[in-house]
Amino acid sequence: MTDQDTSRPQNIKYPHWQREFEAALLEGDPQTLRQRVDAAETAIFLRSQALVGSAQGHAEQQAISDAIRTLRAIQKEKLGYPDWNK
Amino acid sequence: MAKKRVAKKRVLLVDDNSAVRSFVRQLFEVEPDYEIAGEAENGQDAVEKAENLKPDLIILDLSMPVMTGLDAAPLLRKLLPDTRIILFTVQQGSEVERLARAAGIHAVVPKDQAASNLILQAQVLLASVKQEHHPAKLRNAS
Repeated sequence: MTDQDTSRPQNIKYPHWQREFEAALLEGDPQTLRQRVDAAETAIFLRSQALVGSAQGHAEQQAISDAIRTLRAIQKEKLGYPDWNK
Repeated sequence: MAKKRVAKKRVLLVDDNSAVRSFVRQLFEVEPDYEIAGEAENGQDAVEKAENLKPDLIILDLSMPVMTGLDAAPLLRKLLPDTRIILFTVQQGSEVERLARAAGIHAVVPKDQAASNLILQAQVLLASVKQEHHPAKLRNAS
């Protein structure tokens, strides 16, 4: 393992969805981007469900809100989704 | 003796994410009063399918390719005035609520709330349809 290996668990603060989110951010291939964004959304959705009623997850919920905003921007700017807030 | 069968409420699931559709499908499939009539992956697909499927309830995502949930909702209301629509979205806040109401959506359920809220909201909305269709019964009962 090298120092450049970013897949090490200690680099991942939110293991349930952060990898998928970062994969979407880093995806350069437009053909694959939709799949990456969908995978990130799915992971975030399932994690949000798991956090329901949890008093511990405030920081993670804030991180999830930020990630959702970023995914929405990718959907609009790179995937051509129409803007719902015109 | 034949048992009296109660018609199940038909649900159309609209979300561009197939995993979310699958999650919601499983949620409704364990409920005896509902059946999944179909799935659509964007607003335009939903409008086309709703015309044939005539669902009682539509679970609608907000941000989708081709046509958003907010753009689809008025078309769905015009097509199926009795059908109830729930916006099931990660987007939150009073602005989303306001836009949803303006589009004719009956309720907004955030995706980070307990998924069981979706079932509860469906029950409330579909009960209100029943009341609208049987006002005499209600008057007699009171």
